[in-house]
Amino acid sequence: MSTAVATAAPTRAVNPRHAGWAGIVLGFVAWFIALPPAEVRTPVPSILIALLAITAGAWAIYGGEKRFGGWAIAAGIIGGAGAYASTQSGTGHLEDVVTWSALIAATLRYATPLVFGALGGIMSERSGVVNVGLEGMMLMGAFFGIFGADLLDSWFLGLLVGMAAGGLLAFVHAFFSINLRADQIVSGMALNFLALGVTGYIFLDHYGDQGTPDNISRIPDISIPGIKNLSFFGDAIGRTNTLTWVALILVVLLTIFLFRTPQGLRLRSVGEHPRAAETVGISVPRTRYLAVISSGVLAAMGGAYLSIGFIGSFNQGMTAGRGFIALAAVIFGKWYPGGALGAALLFGFSTALAQRLPAFSPSGAVLFQALPYVLTLIAVAGVIGRSRPPAAVGQPYVKE
Amino acid sequence: MSTELEPQPGEVEGEEIAEGYAQTPAARLAAYFDGGGVLVPVLTAVLAFFVGGLVILITGHNPLSTYKAIFNGSGLNWIFPWVSGSERTTAALNLQQTLIITVPLILTGLAVAFAFRCGLFNIGGLGQYLVGGYIAVWVGSSFAGMPSVLHIIFAIVAGTLGGAAWAGIAGLLKATVGAHEVISTIMLNWIAVWLGAYLFALNGPLQNTDPSQQSVPISNDIVAGAKLPVFWGDPELQGLHIGIFIALAAVVVFWLVLNRSTTGYEVRAVGFNPEAARYGGINVSWNYFLVMAVCGAFAGLAGTLDLLGWQFHIATNDVLNSASGGLAFFGIAVALLGRNTASGTVIAALLFGALLSGTSQRNLDPNIFEPELAGNLTFIIQGLVVLIVSADVIVLTMLRRGRSMFKRRSATAPAAKAEAS
Amino acid sequence: MEYALELRGITKRFGPIVANDAVDFDLKPGEVHALLGENGAGKSTLMSVLYGLYTPDEGEIRVDGRPVTINSPLEAIDLGIGMVHQHFMLVPVMTVAENIVLAQEPTKGALLDVDASKARVRELSERYGLAVNPDARVEDITVGMQQRVEILRALYRGARILVLDEPTAVLTAQEANDLFRVLEALKADGTGIVFISHKLNEVLEIADRVTVLRRGKRIDTVPTQGATEESLARLMVGREVLLRVEKPPAQPKEAVLEVTDLEVSDDRGLPAVRGASLTIRAGEIVALAGVDGNGQSELVEAVTGLRPVQTGTIRVGGTDLTDSGARGMVRHGVSHIAEDRHRRGLVLNFTLAENLALREYNTPKLSNGWLLSLKRMRDRARGLIREYDVRGGGPSSLALSLSGGNQQKVVIAREIACNPRVLVAAQPTRGLDVGAIEFVHRRLVSERDAGRGILLMSLEFEEVRSLADRILVIYEGEIVGEFPPDVSEEELGIAMTGGGRQREAAA
Repeated sequence: MSTAVATAAPTRAVNPRHAGWAGIVLGFVAWFIALPPAEVRTPVPSILIALLAITAGAWAIYGGEKRFGGWAIAAGIIGGAGAYASTQSGTGHLEDVVTWSALIAATLRYATPLVFGALGGIMSERSGVVNVGLEGMMLMGAFFGIFGADLLDSWFLGLLVGMAAGGLLAFVHAFFSINLRADQIVSGMALNFLALGVTGYIFLDHYGDQGTPDNISRIPDISIPGIKNLSFFGDAIGRTNTLTWVALILVVLLTIFLFRTPQGLRLRSVGEHPRAAETVGISVPRTRYLAVISSGVLAAMGGAYLSIGFIGSFNQGMTAGRGFIALAAVIFGKWYPGGALGAALLFGFSTALAQRLPAFSPSGAVLFQALPYVLTLIAVAGVIGRSRPPAAVGQPYVKE
Repeated sequence: MSTELEPQPGEVEGEEIAEGYAQTPAARLAAYFDGGGVLVPVLTAVLAFFVGGLVILITGHNPLSTYKAIFNGSGLNWIFPWVSGSERTTAALNLQQTLIITVPLILTGLAVAFAFRCGLFNIGGLGQYLVGGYIAVWVGSSFAGMPSVLHIIFAIVAGTLGGAAWAGIAGLLKATVGAHEVISTIMLNWIAVWLGAYLFALNGPLQNTDPSQQSVPISNDIVAGAKLPVFWGDPELQGLHIGIFIALAAVVVFWLVLNRSTTGYEVRAVGFNPEAARYGGINVSWNYFLVMAVCGAFAGLAGTLDLLGWQFHIATNDVLNSASGGLAFFGIAVALLGRNTASGTVIAALLFGALLSGTSQRNLDPNIFEPELAGNLTFIIQGLVVLIVSADVIVLTMLRRGRSMFKRRSATAPAAKAEAS
Repeated sequence: MEYALELRGITKRFGPIVANDAVDFDLKPGEVHALLGENGAGKSTLMSVLYGLYTPDEGEIRVDGRPVTINSPLEAIDLGIGMVHQHFMLVPVMTVAENIVLAQEPTKGALLDVDASKARVRELSERYGLAVNPDARVEDITVGMQQRVEILRALYRGARILVLDEPTAVLTAQEANDLFRVLEALKADGTGIVFISHKLNEVLEIADRVTVLRRGKRIDTVPTQGATEESLARLMVGREVLLRVEKPPAQPKEAVLEVTDLEVSDDRGLPAVRGASLTIRAGEIVALAGVDGNGQSELVEAVTGLRPVQTGTIRVGGTDLTDSGARGMVRHGVSHIAEDRHRRGLVLNFTLAENLALREYNTPKLSNGWLLSLKRMRDRARGLIREYDVRGGGPSSLALSLSGGNQQKVVIAREIACNPRVLVAAQPTRGLDVGAIEFVHRRLVSERDAGRGILLMSLEFEEVRSLADRILVIYEGEIVGEFPPDVSEEELGIAMTGGGRQREAAA
């Protein structure tokens, strides 16, 4: 996307892109100083910094960096408004909500399933198969994860069962999309309904009204010895679920896989231009099968995290749209694992805020839950620079 | 690129047709639906119910008695003249339930079907349904002094327009910047869900004003004058309201617009082949916007009628529960099974309406099959129906390929060029 | 065995159509062997057989004297056959280096060895003078560069036989010169090159031998030494003329279509029509002749309101209609028989009645205000079906159930029913059988005699010569000459391939 935008820029004084970045940072700073621990109680400094951010953004736009400039102006406005609101509210409330360590811990908790789902979505879509069935694949992982953990009395085996279940559902998607050349969106939606029915059916048939038992083996948290007792870091990342770390590691691994290995290069070429890939001898169906199945396995890990990592029980339809937020994270992160991680953290943060904000306004807090969707809607509208999906995504491929 | 149509006898042009023809997957589906006849949807439903029966069997129940219980629970046995006495009374009550649910299913089905006919896939029925309901509940619970008929009309118009506006956002994005309607309607669904969770939450702007209910996150009730009249059954026991006539009228409008109007001609042309539509002088972008708005109007009307007809209020829990597997999502299965036609949508809506009410806690005999399990059976059948429809493109392709090969053999030898690129 | 490649008696049929009829072709190492022929002569089919995309029905392929069977591009690559496709098979968002090494990547452990990839690319590009930047993204580089990437990829994979499918079609003159220098270097290195083209001057310039295909058959193989554009054109077009249209002399009247200094861009925003001007009068057929891809499609689309005009004007009957859109053009009397009836001319899933209404469904002829009049649509369809002798269906049959010829009759019926002043016919007989071609030709002539101005865009020599009253030749987006219909095939062929440019400058 970094085409020659900076050419017509007034490059003499400041690089407009740097100005944009500075504006974004300043926007955050404006709000940050009004929050604990700094807690400046007058809005004046924040507003001045916010104005500076907006100016920087305007400069960046003038210099041709529309995207960064737009973000900077948005950051300035949001930061200034947020800071003003913060200075107007009581410090007690403020400290209830903004306990950074707890917010970070909660953000990681909420982001973890989204990261898994988004990585799954990236695998599938990078190979050219749309996957709107992520929600269903997560749900399979959530139920069969806990079901397996209960029956086999091991969270690890449960996780494997959940991953296999997600992979199986993804296999159905692959078969319909690749062999039967089904409409990938319709097929994905069908799998969401199917997963909802299948998991709900077996759940009720097996557990009845009591729900899953309390003593199921759960994925352990990892306590980091050195950090655990430090006050801030200890609260933030001292006790974090194993799968959270796995998710972060997978982001790195998947980035390396996609962009640094021959197999990743081939997978991307299949998603961009399958005919070109075929003419150099890459099997399009085989590549897509592997990508779609691993997509289901990854999404199912996110689901299993929900049931046997985070919550410790299962209830019907418990993914509650997280598969769709993961899909949003894929788009918002522009089909890059790192970008999706950023989006997942942002979305996780907005959920974490929504959980804590009721101290201020019980009703308004819930609107933060909608933030991921609003941001993604803005992203697909192309307001902040068009995100471009893999070129061949959604098109069934037929050999010549 | 080539679930496209077979080249016709007399030419060898593999690739040209593929380029640009029926680009949207939805257009491709729509293109195939015309050729299927009534056999394919019937087989689809039979297959889905058969697999559902296997699930029942595997989990140790009797599929036949289960399906019979669901059938009776739907009240469809009311049509048999030999059902009498108290059994008939129960059947009537059940059938009223079925038809009440059929109303929103018809309308959300139309919301999906109309989009499909223009080559668009509207997954946003849920959001449009919800927004229509929010506006209906606000209008219906305010303006208490209005004359009843006016109040009802006002609420219906407002709710319908609300749904249209909500879907119009997706249509506008599609028409102006080409944003994929599937993504934007999914996002709009969830925005609508959380919007509802906000509106009716404790201290939310539309939370009820009843002093005794201040701890309940629920809206005000629709005032008596804005409730839709019940014409069959007891209004106190959710009798059948006149919304069904409005829904059927919408079906007629759908059919009339699509098949008899110049607008419908444009919509279908865009749906089958946007490039040919452009060649014919049709404004393709405008059609995308218009169609999404009309779809939203159908779904918004569904939400409105549900509120004014039998729900009368919205609780945040209802909104959040509707997000996964809510009634509005069944519109997709209804439209696909109904082949995106007017009559097909009505029949498919009745089928799913019967399935939903027949498996409900209230109607299904728990001694034969647990209603909760049956509810999930409904989701399984819904998923299977959609899955089979997604792939019956291939069934029809094979059918057509077989047919055209037969034709080619009997065609006179055409002297055409054979430069396949 | 001195041949690097031999194709012996290759026959390939598609249903009843014989695309290649016992074709022989051979190639020595270090030789450029051109494959020459009109559109549809069977050149691409032959090369697809060689590259493993089609399996021949008969015949034998030998590489270095060994008989081989080639079932996939991969097997072709393994045999040292490299293909530079007409439509490049490159991944636009990836870098040059990534595209070249794709599927045969150098690795360091499990990882892609990016440095080694770039080094290999640099080494190859220096060796053959193919300057490319390995780090550039393919979508950011010029078409000429992209072609170099395709050639480099073939070389990277060890190609000793290189097939170039109309390589200069997308290049500028300068880029074409650069390409020829590269081909010389490859030749010197012992690589055998198959050069597919229908541009005579280029073939004479670069090739050592020429094989001419016509209608799927090999006509002759001659050395370019001693050959001339005229002699090659005669071989390519042949002497016999199969189709002759009986027509009285034209009686042109007032000008109906005036195009002045038209400039139009193609889909990628590059100039396709560069300052073309032309006039069509009532009662004459003017053919726009040219080799595919020289801007004629874009010109037709601009004139029919389907493509925006950059500069210049389009007047119909004296009224300026530039930028009035597809509907505006039809309303003001410009009808359009579209080049591709499946993609554009017809809605295949519509009935014939609906298809015949595509131009006028919202006029009082076929609707009452907002409602369609199905009866009038049906009645009109019935009349047109009878008048144009459309067989195989009635008003309520789907268009896709008809044969190609009858589909085309539907398009023609609809366009003429608008009673246009100007009828633009783009490749109106493409893919039709002889009977249907005859029908279309007769109809065009009778519409001419009825006083319409007809712009015929065609890629077929014979069609142009037998139908047109005047022939305009378009080359690289410019009208480079005007000829009478009795112009010799050689002369026309040369003009269309950019040969006689200077000579015709006055016209």
